[in-house]
Amino acid sequence: MEGVSYQRLPKIMIREMKDDYLKFNLTDTDASMANALRRVMIAEVPTIAIDLVEIEVNSSVLNDEFISHRLGLIPLTSDLAMGMRFSRDCDSCDGDGQCEFCSVEFHLNVRCDSDQTLDVTSADLRSTDPNVVPVDVAARALSSDPSSFDSDQRGIIIVKLRRGQELRLRAIARKGIGKDHAKWSPAATVTFMYEPDIQIKEDLMETLTLEEKRNWVESSPTKVFDIDPITQQVMVVDSEAYTYDEEVIKKAEAMGKPGLVEIYAKEDSFIFTVESTGAIKASQLVINAIDVLRQKLDAVRMQDAEADFKEFTDHMQGGG
Amino acid sequence: MNAPDRYERFVVPEGTKKVSYERDTKIVNAGSFTIEREDHTIGNILRMQLHRDPNVLFAGYKLPHPLQYKILVRIHTTNQSSPSQAYNQAITDLDKELEHLKKIFEEEKSRFEVKPRDY
Ligand SMILES: [Zn+2]
Repeated sequence: MEGVSYQRLPKIMIREMKDDYLKFNLTDTDASMANALRRVMIAEVPTIAIDLVEIEVNSSVLNDEFISHRLGLIPLTSDLAMGMRFSRDCDSCDGDGQCEFCSVEFHLNVRCDSDQTLDVTSADLRSTDPNVVPVDVAARALSSDPSSFDSDQRGIIIVKLRRGQELRLRAIARKGIGKDHAKWSPAATVTFMYEPDIQIKEDLMETLTLEEKRNWVESSPTKVFDIDPITQQVMVVDSEAYTYDEEVIKKAEAMGKPGLVEIYAKEDSFIFTVESTGAIKASQLVINAIDVLRQKLDAVRMQDAEADFKEFTDHMQGGG
Repeated sequence: MNAPDRYERFVVPEGTKKVSYERDTKIVNAGSFTIEREDHTIGNILRMQLHRDPNVLFAGYKLPHPLQYKILVRIHTTNQSSPSQAYNQAITDLDKELEHLKKIFEEEKSRFEVKPRDY
């Protein structure tokens, strides 16, 4: 018995794309797919982050654990993460988690010898792999205009040192996922909303005076509607500004004009916004999420023979 | 000191099966799948995809407890199908949908890089 396919063919339209920001429309699928993609982007797309710190000298005001935690939270460029091994699955270093296949080593060695307070930043971290560096360091290296990153862009501050204080350490960065620890999440925010479908009942609307129209338009907390200055007709200027607050519906009812506007959430149409930490590009985050979700689905597949055999033997044992 | 390892939430312990199936003892063509180390991400897309199959009379999932890292997917089908057939078909369809999604996303990305739409 061959199964019949109930596969969907969704559509995508990109509306805005920067390295760390993406806005797109996803249509012809349902909320479960949109939500699965959102959840995977936040918690299951891998990145690289500092996971082990060996402190040699720390005479700063922050304790060792505090500094280790701050180091872990620095986003590192993670384009290699999808192809890297998790240390726990790595057989080249048997559980040590310090070999080239599953880790990247960092060194930091800073000492303050002046009366001026010295900031220790992500720029002081020395990576052994040029592909894995703090994201702000990579952005500065790529920028054609280095002056745009001067005074306020000195890197991510780790700790401040006064005269005579020193920080010397070795750190191991490893592949991980946001489900393990949020420091591995590549997503700053990922959200989706249902696309609203707003229909104004024109004939009912025309029974309103201009003053009433103005009051009704103003009742929306976000700027969804406006009045055409020439025709004085109410029109939808930005349907996506609607936050499903229903204020305009309540206002219409209070004015004795129920049904003045009908607003539905299109159940197969979503507007996504994806913001990345910089560890990977926002567009790559979406692609990686699709790959990760496919891997997850593949892992939960029931081995055909096994399932059919079970069904068969259970029947033989005289079940219902 | 006795905190469980964080990875226990998503790494299937050795000797445990990722998916196991238990047939219902009272109803024909019904049974439940226990999926280890998965949550709402997989549970909900599977359930919704199963609902698209007209031979599926019932499909539901639950996460029994937040500290038990597994989900249960219960399926009841007509005699034209079986829970394992519907289950595998749902996974195949979702996989094809995602394959399509990746393809069109990459096409749209290349298209956008050349000529962004006006908004
Ligand atoms: Zn290794």
